[in-house]
Amino acid sequence: MTGRRGVIATLMFALGSVGVAAGVLHARESSYSLPQVTERLLYLKSAKAADRLALSFDSVVADIYWIRTIQHYGRDYKNRKQTNRFELLYPLLDLTTTLDPHFLIAYRFGAHFLSARPPEGPGRPDQAIALLEKGLAATPGRWELAHDIAFINYLYTGDFKQAGIWFDKASRMPNAPPWLKQLAATTLARGGDRKTAVEILLRMRSSEERYIQLAAERALMQIAAIEGAEQLTAIVNAFKARTGRYPTSWQELIAVRMLQGIPGDPTKTAYAYDPATGTVSISEDSPLMPILPTLLGK
Amino acid sequence: MATVVSTDRLTKDFKTGFLRPRTHRGLDELTFEIPAGGVFGLLGPNGAGKSTTLKLLLNLLTPTSGRAELFGFPPGDLNARRRLGFLPENPSFYEYLTAEELLTYFSGLCGQSADDARRRSSALLDLVSLGADRRRPMRQFSKGMIQRVGIAQSLINDPELVVLDEPMSGLDPIGRREVRELILKLRDQGRTVVFSSHVLSDAELLCSNVGILARGRLLASGALSELTARGKRGCEVVASAVQDELATRIHGRGLRATRIGDGRYSFELDGGQPPEPLIAELAAAGASLVSVLPLKTTLEEAFVELVRTGSEAAVKS
Amino acid sequence: MTGRRIGLVAWHVFKESVRDRVLYGIGGFSVLLVAVSLAIGQITAGQDVKIIKDFGLATIELAAAVMTIFIGIGLVSKEIEKRTVYALLAKPLPRWEFVVGKYLGLLLTITVNVWAMGLALFAVLAVLLFISPENIRMSWTAPAVDPRLLLVLLLITAEMALLTAVALFFSTFSSSALVSVVFTIGVFIAGLVSTDLRHFSDIVVVSPAIGKTVSAIGWMLPAFSEFDIKSQVVHGLPVAGGFIALTLLYAAAYTCALVGAAVGVFSRREFK
Repeated sequence: MTGRRGVIATLMFALGSVGVAAGVLHARESSYSLPQVTERLLYLKSAKAADRLALSFDSVVADIYWIRTIQHYGRDYKNRKQTNRFELLYPLLDLTTTLDPHFLIAYRFGAHFLSARPPEGPGRPDQAIALLEKGLAATPGRWELAHDIAFINYLYTGDFKQAGIWFDKASRMPNAPPWLKQLAATTLARGGDRKTAVEILLRMRSSEERYIQLAAERALMQIAAIEGAEQLTAIVNAFKARTGRYPTSWQELIAVRMLQGIPGDPTKTAYAYDPATGTVSISEDSPLMPILPTLLGK
Repeated sequence: MATVVSTDRLTKDFKTGFLRPRTHRGLDELTFEIPAGGVFGLLGPNGAGKSTTLKLLLNLLTPTSGRAELFGFPPGDLNARRRLGFLPENPSFYEYLTAEELLTYFSGLCGQSADDARRRSSALLDLVSLGADRRRPMRQFSKGMIQRVGIAQSLINDPELVVLDEPMSGLDPIGRREVRELILKLRDQGRTVVFSSHVLSDAELLCSNVGILARGRLLASGALSELTARGKRGCEVVASAVQDELATRIHGRGLRATRIGDGRYSFELDGGQPPEPLIAELAAAGASLVSVLPLKTTLEEAFVELVRTGSEAAVKS
Repeated sequence: MTGRRIGLVAWHVFKESVRDRVLYGIGGFSVLLVAVSLAIGQITAGQDVKIIKDFGLATIELAAAVMTIFIGIGLVSKEIEKRTVYALLAKPLPRWEFVVGKYLGLLLTITVNVWAMGLALFAVLAVLLFISPENIRMSWTAPAVDPRLLLVLLLITAEMALLTAVALFFSTFSSSALVSVVFTIGVFIAGLVSTDLRHFSDIVVVSPAIGKTVSAIGWMLPAFSEFDIKSQVVHGLPVAGGFIALTLLYAAAYTCALVGAAVGVFSRREFK
């Protein structure tokens, strides 16, 4: 077949077949998955061995391990039903940073991945801090690493004293932005209350690192949700004061015009209400769950 | 007479240059015919478009415009391909095969049975005098042997039309003679042979019809005899017992006189001049006539003339 | 008739590769494997089975890929460069039969090589099984002479069928063998990382437009990384029959696309 029609026919056939192929692959991905073999990801269990074997190609091998780290995180992130999720995250990050001790992103993102609570991550702020401290040992002057340790302490472990100490350390490092000093002072003085939290989180939200922005954004929404729940609790109690019993549901409150509609948190998920105890809480289905422990205490 | 090949304003443009593409016209409005039977020579200097023409006939190239037909079918049509054989220019064949294996392979591709294939391969290899080397791998073959294998493979399907692209290039004189003899043998078998060459003397010995190309244009095509008869020279008169003074006088009139021997002279007359007056004059002077022969131009002279003037003429046979 | 002609072209590709001493690579591989396994046997206890399988399967896959790329490029490019194809195309052989025949011939060559090397691997594993004491055998997570290794060979063959098609495709339209090699290797590597491209937007936060574009590219590339079940089989983990079937179907569909495109290109090709 020659001529324009022939060209178009061939092209359509080829593209069509590629389309079919892609479809088959997609079907395979949805229906079947291969059981994971952990050894393959690490290949070398010891960071020291990796360092020796990489010869002069340390940085490249570090890059490869970093890519594997991201792959591992991505895969396990999607696979909510798997057991032992994220178990290789720390070893992979350890390998990566041993091979290339100046790999700033590996320390920072790695710490972020590690701190995230399930189902978003393994929920290991202790490992995150250890990783960042390793980073500071290798590159002592990087204020970003100290700042991240402070942030993790503030948000995940709830240790405000440590957070304040680390904000302070960060503020003394070369090229540190001026607002770190203020943050250190605020945290040390009034680390425990909600107003401070909002202040600090607002500061975090204007960070240059997108994932810090997102984490702060999320924390702020959680605070808003908690405040919302508190306001609703006040309404429920007002109802009790008036009628002597708790309302049976949101509908009742709407009927008596104490509410205008089903109340929802900043993600528009309806609040949960227990009529037996009159407790208002953020729904288990809400994407905001689980709430950071540091915020619950306020 | 039946026509085996005909073209109608066949044109081929080539694009050259990567950043600023230009078109180079390899063949310009080629219109000619090849009659059945006999040997047709496609002649011209290097770069004239001979190979281009042959490749267009074999569908190795597609025309920019114009048409061609073989046995009434377009080039590339399987009906045409079944009835023709082709020897490419400077051929090479699969080094890892023996001559015999190559022929049986091609034979199979032409749809012949295994027995037929064996018989034909054997016969053809004998025809081209490669019988003794049939089992040697072709990487050991010399250029002449490859050429002969090439001719053998072009005959594998007993074709009516045999197309040979520069079949004598790179061969030594013995090789060239062998190929010439083969071509004549093929003609005697009733096949039509078409070959391209830039060596005109070969064509003179072999061809009944020729087509002359230069710079992509057809300068002349038709019977060889007619082409060479178009020359200016007329005839040569040889006489004996001619006195020297008479010869000098005749020479002075512009008829070239050449002394052959004692009293023996040859005189050349141009195309327009009839020989009778001269004969009468010589007879009157007491000379005796030896011979009167018409002079044809050689093909080379005709060719050079055509190329130089760039004239286009088609002499229909 | 068509079948016979295609068969002839294919058979001659195979014949050429055999006479081209490709098969000596197989012998070399077997020797290498025996040497490695004997050395390993001295060092580790019980782990040699896994290492031999790992090393052997990886070598088979790599050797097959190298063979495919280099022979595959020569398939059509070399014929055009050396002009052997001119006489062939004057014969009553349709161009598409030529292309398909070349493909099948190379596929046959690679398949024979993969399975011959596989046989060598099995032989070595059988020897290992024979000489290993009972307690060592107990520690193996998968049998030494594991029939499931055949599944790995099957998928390697399918992967090579796809790679052959890629090599064939580039061989048909490029005039230079070097360019064909570069493109084929490039597509092979791209195919090996295509999984990450497909899931790009799951991990990296980018605009939806970029995410979708990168994903789309990932889906369009031939996914060479998706044929790898080596670790699963070596560790004795299960692999679903449906997984294998769909993988083979994928290879078949994509191969059709490439061979079809190669036929299309070659049919229109001009030979100066």
